[in-house]
Amino acid sequence: MSWAAHDLEPYVIQKELGKRIAFVPLLIGSYAPDLLSKWFVYGVADLKADNPAQFHRGWPGAGFTHSLVFGVLIGLLLYALWRNKVVAYSFVIGQWAHALTDTGDTVGTMLLFPFSDHLFTVGAWAYAGQTGRYVDAGAYFSGLGFVWDGLFVVWGILSWRVLTRGYFRTTVMAADPFWRWAGRYLSETTLVALYRASFFYGVARWTAWLIWAHVVRSFAFDLRWGGPRWVPRIYARDLNAATGCRCPGCCSMRPRLGFYGAVAVCAWTKGLIASGSGRRGHARDRPRAMSSGGQPRPRSGARTPWRKSRRRPADPRAGPPG
Amino acid sequence: MLAPVREVALYLAAGVVYVAIGVAFPEFLFAWIVAVGFLLVSVVVLPALVSHFRQ
Repeated sequence: MSWAAHDLEPYVIQKELGKRIAFVPLLIGSYAPDLLSKWFVYGVADLKADNPAQFHRGWPGAGFTHSLVFGVLIGLLLYALWRNKVVAYSFVIGQWAHALTDTGDTVGTMLLFPFSDHLFTVGAWAYAGQTGRYVDAGAYFSGLGFVWDGLFVVWGILSWRVLTRGYFRTTVMAADPFWRWAGRYLSETTLVALYRASFFYGVARWTAWLIWAHVVRSFAFDLRWGGPRWVPRIYARDLNAATGCRCPGCCSMRPRLGFYGAVAVCAWTKGLIASGSGRRGHARDRPRAMSSGGQPRPRSGARTPWRKSRRRPADPRAGPPG
Repeated sequence: MLAPVREVALYLAAGVVYVAIGVAFPEFLFAWIVAVGFLLVSVVVLPALVSHFRQ
């Protein structure tokens, strides 16, 4: 599980896809897999799953919410309701981002469910949801999990342009019907605050948990693969039928190699988007700065009449200066 | 020019207060809806009230 990545991923995706994505379904998709199951993992009052990891990620359990097919099914349902394919695929992208991110822990996710209940895992940080919220937080922010979230914090901050009011007005509102509907009842300042809320939540929560775990409490850092080792953790082989799984992934998978491969594929995909139409779309979507007269300021290098008219040809009759 | 800087400062201040409350009372950090409510109060409601009483 991730504690801040699911809040920040939608902003990074928004930056890359611009007007081709609707933000609200993207965000809901990013939260969807844990939306109805997480409370039962940690427990509320006396209600708690007997086997939290099995319930959260396994089958039988609610682990199907972390499968790629689940995202597609809900996306199709959204399309049937709204007849808007941008809304539908935005949800799918958000849900897939969540499901793929959660493969980072030692339990992983059933990406191919219902065709297989195999848990795909990279095993970079410990799954310790069964220990309760506070120990889980301490463990997560002591292992590689917080580093992974930290990457999204940095990436999100580098994508700060998507948080500006101009970007919200020209790109986010244009692509997402929710904001146009909400704009009839709420002021722009409120809409922008709502749009930025998950970013605020992700960055602030990441900072607060890190301080809490290592300043207020004294959880020990352990950045080894699959760590921290001091917490009782669950592995994919402890759930489902994965114990006897003989698939090539289970027999020969080298999680670290798989992780590096995933990073390489992400970088390659990002390069494709940047070199293709994505870069042009991104430049077009970027809000233009306003001049003091309220007119959009021309892009740098553009020829403008006023620039021409202010240039006067040199007068050959004029004498030397001074 | 002043308005965007003021806006960023407002969000930063809200973030610092949120982190301080969260570190002191970690229960505060669990609910997304609490964070949204906190942000709306900090950057929309409070500034609106302040400007209302200044006038």
